[in-house]
Amino acid sequence: MEQILLTINLVSKGFADNILTKPEFFIGILVFIGYLLLGKPIYEAFGGFIKAAVGMMIWNVGAGGLVNTFRPILAGLNDRFALHAAVIDPYFGLNAASEAIKSIGMSLSWTMVSLMVGFGWNILLVLFRRQTKCRTLFLTGHIMIQQATTCTWLVFFAIPELRNIEGAMWIGILAGTYWAVFSNLTVEPTQELTEGGGFAVGHQQMGWVWLTSKLAPLLGDPEHTVENIKLPRWLSMFNDNVITTGVLMIVFFGVIMGILGEPYLRGVDKAGFPASLAFPTYILSKSLLFSVYLFILISGVRMFVSELTESFRGISEKVLPGALPAVDCAATFGFSSPNTVLFGFLFGCLGQFVAIAGLFLFKLPILIITGFVPVFFDNATTAVFANKFGGVRAAGILTFCTGLIQVSGGAFAAWYFQLYQYGGWHGNIDWDTLWPLIGVIMKNFSMVGMFAVIAAMLVIPQIQYRRSADKEHYFHQGSE
Amino acid sequence: MLKVVAACGNGMGSSQIIKMKIAKVFKKLNIEADIHHMSVGEAKSAANGFDVVFCGATLVENFSGRNKKTIIIGLVNLLSETEIEAKIREHLTLPE
Repeated sequence: MEQILLTINLVSKGFADNILTKPEFFIGILVFIGYLLLGKPIYEAFGGFIKAAVGMMIWNVGAGGLVNTFRPILAGLNDRFALHAAVIDPYFGLNAASEAIKSIGMSLSWTMVSLMVGFGWNILLVLFRRQTKCRTLFLTGHIMIQQATTCTWLVFFAIPELRNIEGAMWIGILAGTYWAVFSNLTVEPTQELTEGGGFAVGHQQMGWVWLTSKLAPLLGDPEHTVENIKLPRWLSMFNDNVITTGVLMIVFFGVIMGILGEPYLRGVDKAGFPASLAFPTYILSKSLLFSVYLFILISGVRMFVSELTESFRGISEKVLPGALPAVDCAATFGFSSPNTVLFGFLFGCLGQFVAIAGLFLFKLPILIITGFVPVFFDNATTAVFANKFGGVRAAGILTFCTGLIQVSGGAFAAWYFQLYQYGGWHGNIDWDTLWPLIGVIMKNFSMVGMFAVIAAMLVIPQIQYRRSADKEHYFHQGSE
Repeated sequence: MLKVVAACGNGMGSSQIIKMKIAKVFKKLNIEADIHHMSVGEAKSAANGFDVVFCGATLVENFSGRNKKTIIIGLVNLLSETEIEAKIREHLTLPE
């Protein structure tokens, strides 16, 4: 008996030391098992293992580069102006949250545990849809990674006694509840926009999509749409993430480095700024370096996420045929004109810039730098839904407000959850409104607060069901 | 073997959905295809090396003025296999 216990101990210690501390192997194993469960041949499962592990290792290269490029500039801002800067973008947020998790001596494998539990919990909620009224399964893999990671940090930060396996499970349930409940909330507006397209939004602005569909009719006339407006053609270059990120980084970090000044930067960044290099060249190459590392980071995430999504999707099709998939918000873009997407980008940018100017005017100690994903995807989604339900006027007003809230909510969150230390915050609109609120509740009421949040979220689909006009149709959205 | 790429703004969410859907349709139509997914930015530079590019309808313009031999297909509903099949039949000459 004692022998058996000893062996179990040894194996679990080996697992903890070699797998849990190495998230690349942990996620590789998840993918491997997923593929085997789907009945794929073993060589394919092994291939999945390698791609997932390598993807995660590529991510680490990008993350390291980002941190190293950042450090002198962030430190400079802090030194000279006592300012903390955070880029509001889910990839910078992902980076910051994972650095923060590592800084308290935890491994990113806990994030993967939360991810799995969250996915399983979402399946369960849909499996019992007659009781829970949840109809949608969240399938957007890269978003799930970002959200599970940020959520893990929020809980580890707010409730230190949950920094263990039990905590990882609860984080999974918290995230999974958000995925199920809020994607479910987007079913009706998305079905109306896409004329029964058969999917829901599973992204970063699900609560906002719902709110937009309610507010837009009050703000404008759906007959006067964005389609009639002529936008300059050059704007279409912002469809491209490399170009947009590059431009944003040049603008923001260019200004910051300009303010810090040449002598200062020569002093702190001796290796990167040799005497032979001119200041403008330094600024340009440093700014573009952010895009480079971000690109590497995203490529890594893409590699392991595409394996993970494939196995998640396979499992869900087996366990839950007919459930409505909640997918990337960009899937809705095709149901509006290209104009709408750019219109959202434009007005969202404007809102963000006004809010950033506000941070300066009120002399707040935090500086927000715009990131591609919120400024493009959040605002485009807001514009698409606002345009559908309230026309051009609603689209303009609501995306402008989205920009304002992204910056002010993001500034609060980066400061409150201390992620400014690592230079980033998640930044998408639900994470600038709903999640900071959840974090504050958890910080003040600890585990009771977390349970209350989960319970409150689970009530939402019940209300939604009660208020739906055609109750039998509620469960058959998109299946016709 | 047809070389195909699915593209979207960030190269992660929608392009992956399109990729899985077109893989299904190509299999059904018995066409052998090697399918990748990436961001529009990458796809723009890589388009020459592919036979077909799939992307959201709003992104088609990104590929205008490129080479003539790559077929660009824009999709309105990225999740609709019916639409994908119809567009493949429209743009590609299928083997009987």
